[in-house]
Formats: sequence, C-alpha cells, structure tokens
Amino acid sequence: MISSAYAATEGHAQSSGLPQFDSSVFASQIFWTVVSFMVLMYLLQRYVIPAINDILDSRGKKISEDLQNAEKARQEAERVLAGYREQVERARQMASATLEEARLEASAIREHALADLTEELAKKKASAVEEIERVRQRAMEEVRDAAVEIAMLATEKLIAKTVTKAKAEEMVKGAVDHLEQNKASLH
Amino acid sequence: MLLTTTAISVEAAQAAAAAAPRMDPLHHFQVVKYVQMAPLGLDISVSNSVVWMWISIAAVFFFFRYAFRQPALVPGRLQSVAEAGYLFIRGIVDENIGAGGKPYFPMVFTLFFFVLFCNWTGLIPGSFTATSQLIVTATLALGIFFLSIFLGFYKHGLKFLGFFVPSGLPVLLLPLMVPIEIISFLARPVSLSVRLFANMTAGHTVLGVLFFFSATLPWIGSWLPFGFSVVFTAVEIFIGFIQAYIFTILTCVYINDSLHLHH
Repeated sequence: MISSAYAATEGHAQSSGLPQFDSSVFASQIFWTVVSFMVLMYLLQRYVIPAINDILDSRGKKISEDLQNAEKARQEAERVLAGYREQVERARQMASATLEEARLEASAIREHALADLTEELAKKKASAVEEIERVRQRAMEEVRDAAVEIAMLATEKLIAKTVTKAKAEEMVKGAVDHLEQNKASLH
Repeated sequence: MLLTTTAISVEAAQAAAAAAPRMDPLHHFQVVKYVQMAPLGLDISVSNSVVWMWISIAAVFFFFRYAFRQPALVPGRLQSVAEAGYLFIRGIVDENIGAGGKPYFPMVFTLFFFVLFCNWTGLIPGSFTATSQLIVTATLALGIFFLSIFLGFYKHGLKFLGFFVPSGLPVLLLPLMVPIEIISFLARPVSLSVRLFANMTAGHTVLGVLFFFSATLPWIGSWLPFGFSVVFTAVEIFIGFIQAYIFTILTCVYINDSLHLHH
C-alpha cells in the first residue's frame, strides 16, 4: 500500500537521481558556459584589468615620486640647516670679535681718561701750589710793610727823630732777612 | 473486497501525497529550458542555469565597472575591495605560476570571479546555481585540462611526456609509476569539476532541507531549522569563496606543471 503510494508520487515527480545527470541539458550548458566565460574574459581584459593596472601603476609611480621628493626635500633641508649653522657660527664669531674690539676700545678710553685726569690733577695741584706761593709772598710783603711801618713808628717814638725812609728800609730789610733765615721755624 | 479497499486506499494515498508539502531538495537543481533553440543542430537553449550564468558575469563586470567608475589614487571602499580582489588573484598567479605567469592572469582572474559569482548568486532565494551543474564545472575543468596539455606540448614538445616519469625513480618501478601518474593526471579534471559541483550541490541540498523544515514544521519547532539555515547560509557564502579559491589555485598549479614540468 505504502510502496504503491510512494511509486505514485515517484512517478508524479518523474525525477530519479540528481537532475544534474540529465544529459538533455548538457549541450546548451556547455555552449553557454564557454560563451559566457569568453565574454566575461573579453570584458574584463578590455575594460577592467587595464583600469586596475593603470591605477596601481600610477599609484606606485606616485608613491615612488613622493619618496624621491621627500628625499630631495630632506637633502634640501639639510643643506639649508648647514647654511644656517654656518651663518650662526659666523655671526657668533663676528659678535665675539666686536665684543673684543669694544673691550679693547673701552680699556683704551679708560686709560686715556685716566691719563687726562692725572694730568689735570697735576696741573691743578701745580696751580694751587703756585697760588699758595703767591699768596704767601703777598702776605710776607704785607707783613714786611706792616713791620716797616711799625718799626718806623716805633723808631720815631723812641728816638724822636725821623728816620729817613732809606734808612728805615735798610733796617727792615735786615729784619726781613733775619726773618727769611728763620723761615723754617716760622712755619 | 480486498481489491476495492486497496484501490480506495491507493487513491487516498495519492490524494494525501498531492496535498501534503513534498520535500524535494533536489528540485532546486532542475534545469528548465526557457527558450529552445538549436540552429544547425547546435543546442543553444536558454535555461535557468544559463540565465543565472549571465547574471553572474554581468554582476562581475558591473561590480568592477562600478568600483572603477572614477578610479582614484586614494581608493574608496568599493575600489579597495576590487583592487584587493585583483591583487589576491595576482598573488595566486605569482605564487603558483611564478615566472611567465603574466599571460595567464586574465584567464585566472576571469575564472575566479566567474566561479565565485556563480556560487554567490546561487544563494539568492529563487535563483539558480550554475556551478551546481556538473556539466558546467566539467566544461571549465576540461577547458583547463586541455589548456594545460596544449601548453605542455607547446612549450616542451615531446619532452612533456617526461612529466609522467617521476625523476630519481628506480627503472624497475617505472611500469608501476607511469600508469599511476597518467591516471592521476587524467583524474585532475574529474576531481576539479566534481569538487566544485559536489560542494555546491551538497550545500544547497542542506539549505533546501532546512528551508523545507522551517516552512512546514509548526512554529514551536520551525525556529530551529530556520536558525540553522541562517547560519548555514553564512557557511555557504564562505564555501562559495573557498571553492572558487581552490578551483583557481589548482588551475594555476596545473598551468605551472605544464610550463615548468616540476615533478
């Protein structure tokens, strides 16, 4: 009973085994597989593979160009850096030379000023000494004149007799000379 | 009495069988000719298998055209994927053929994406898997087989026959080894085509059974085969890729054998 029912459904489905082994559909599939494959290969070879090749090649070229440019830029930067370092070194040398020069100049100016000052001081001292001497001279003269007057007045009073001026001066001169001789004790 | 009951029960069984959902996971592989054509005795009928082959090659072509609609030096997502596919195949060719492999690149490239997209479009519900047809995979495999024989004789002349004589073998063993080598060489297209066909057929059959159960079981049990079918679809996507990869690699190996006679 069951087996007959199974046979009935079997007959209804009319498929025994895999449909893949049904040789009636082989020829057309062989044909279309070959054609489809060839068409796809043509299309890919014609439109797709060159496009991908192009983009990959240009990318590779771009990358190597970029690398070269970067290398060039690096070398350029190194060159600039070396130039800059050289400039800095030169500036440093110039600065130190200038500094040295300034130092020398300053010391020259200082020495010059010191010399000037010394000279001026010496001059001032000399003039001061001279002035002192002159004042002393005048003071001496004044003292001498006063002494002469006093001596004349005293003599007049003492001897009641007018001493001639010549005589008095001679006497004063004698006294002054005496004074001069004892100058050291006077000071 | 007995006869009548039998007749009635057969009728009942037939009615029940027609009404009940019938599990036929192999129905999926039935080739249906849409247009019958045979000019000059050449059968070029268009069937569901052929239509999905066309859809697959169109998908390959338009995928690459679309990915490269505006090729940029810095690639977008789709362009990256397309380039990765290209470089993947180039890697296979370089690795397995090496020197002199460049002329075969377009063929290998086409082969990989042809098989891959046939495998993948077959996973679309209601579609047809061209690579589940033994005759399709056999056509490809035989094409590669004859190409490798042609290349062998073209590059090496009759020295190509030395391919069947393993080097460094005692002469005594040659009568045994040479037939083995010849058989293994002849088995190449068979294994190549059956591997792909069987993988696709088995996978889709399993999916068919799972879908049948998830559609016919009551809701309390249907989620289990349905969940399996989801997971198995992912597995099938992976298998579709792996089989295309194996097919391609073996093609390269066969071409390499013919070019360089390594043995």
